[in-house]
Amino acid sequence: MDDKRTQVRNIIKDTKSLPTLPGIITKLNELSANSKSTIQEMARLVSSDQVLSARILRLVNSPSYGFYRVSTISNAMILLGIDVVKSLCLSSSIFELMETTALGLWEHSLGAGVAANIISHKLKIPESEEISTAALLHDIGKVIIKIKFQEEHEQLLEIIRKREISSREAERELLGTDHAEVGGWLAKSWFLPDKLLEPIAFHHEVHKSETHQTKTAVVHLADVLIKASGFGFSGEEFVPRIQPAAWKKLNMNVQLLEEIVTELEEKLIEVKNFSLDIQASHVQ
Amino acid sequence: MQTIPIVTATADMVLAKDVKRSDNPDGPPLCGKGVVLTSSLINRLENMGIKTVTVEGHPVWIEGDVTIEQQLAALERRFKKVANLPLMQSLMEMYRLQILRSMGEADGR
Ligand SMILES: [Fe+2]
Ligand SMILES: [Fe+2]
Repeated sequence: MDDKRTQVRNIIKDTKSLPTLPGIITKLNELSANSKSTIQEMARLVSSDQVLSARILRLVNSPSYGFYRVSTISNAMILLGIDVVKSLCLSSSIFELMETTALGLWEHSLGAGVAANIISHKLKIPESEEISTAALLHDIGKVIIKIKFQEEHEQLLEIIRKREISSREAERELLGTDHAEVGGWLAKSWFLPDKLLEPIAFHHEVHKSETHQTKTAVVHLADVLIKASGFGFSGEEFVPRIQPAAWKKLNMNVQLLEEIVTELEEKLIEVKNFSLDIQASHVQ
Repeated sequence: MQTIPIVTATADMVLAKDVKRSDNPDGPPLCGKGVVLTSSLINRLENMGIKTVTVEGHPVWIEGDVTIEQQLAALERRFKKVANLPLMQSLMEMYRLQILRSMGEADGR
């Protein structure tokens, strides 16, 4: 089974084999590495891609971010930060794939982004935009597994359904790795910052997150809550437990949890509309 | 009570919650709980960028809506693997109340 794991890892490492990494990310990486380049230059680059700009503006204006009426890419970049826009470019291309290949997973990810935003605001945790982005991307490994290992993916779905086990258990059995680890590899090969990488790689094993455990804990809790609410479909039906490490790290209590759940359920109605909106715009 | 997209709101529905601006949730309400909606009021709220309102009962049947019984059964199934953990039991209870509330039952007020 370790052979399989190596095989998966090599495929992820070979970024050329990933059709989803847009050239614009590479250019953005170059620009942001150069201290002389300005936000305007980067904004111009992003704006050159109409579809991408439209999507970024939609995301910035979506309820999960709570900024309203952001109409220019450079404002989006100032508000969200360059790192976030970079990962939005990334996630928007991933989302494009998800929307067409796995709408349920897309809704699950969007919902987790919203939940993470609510949790970090409620608990007054800084860098909530980054946490939301990490939550949007947390199951990115599932997308890659679906695209790159279509045959195994079919089997995975069947095993999960028949034996009522979790995605991770099924993935470990069949691929020798799981979507969290795969997501971590992917984040690494895309040079995403650790504050995005750790929540992606450890959202099912919060205690293993070293430098960004709070962010990882938020993403984990967001994932559990969105599963509990039955919003979207992550690929498995059952709600996992809230990990004690996350509960402790976030200093949670039942009262706070209840407030978060109530706020989340209200917000999800808006998100449902937003998601219907995007589907409608695709039909046009 | 039910939170509905404003486009599905109609005259005579009763607000179950204050309507606030989403970009200023701590500001003064645009419209108070208990107010009976009229079409001009709905228009005005829409123009102010309000996307959803919370109204009494469960007046809007959205496609894909399922009955309370179905929702509760699905909830219990989702929690099947963690039903023995006290914390997860309380989480499930929170969602049970959410479902009842969203369907206009046991408003908990
Ligand atoms: Fe996951
Ligand atoms: Fe997930």
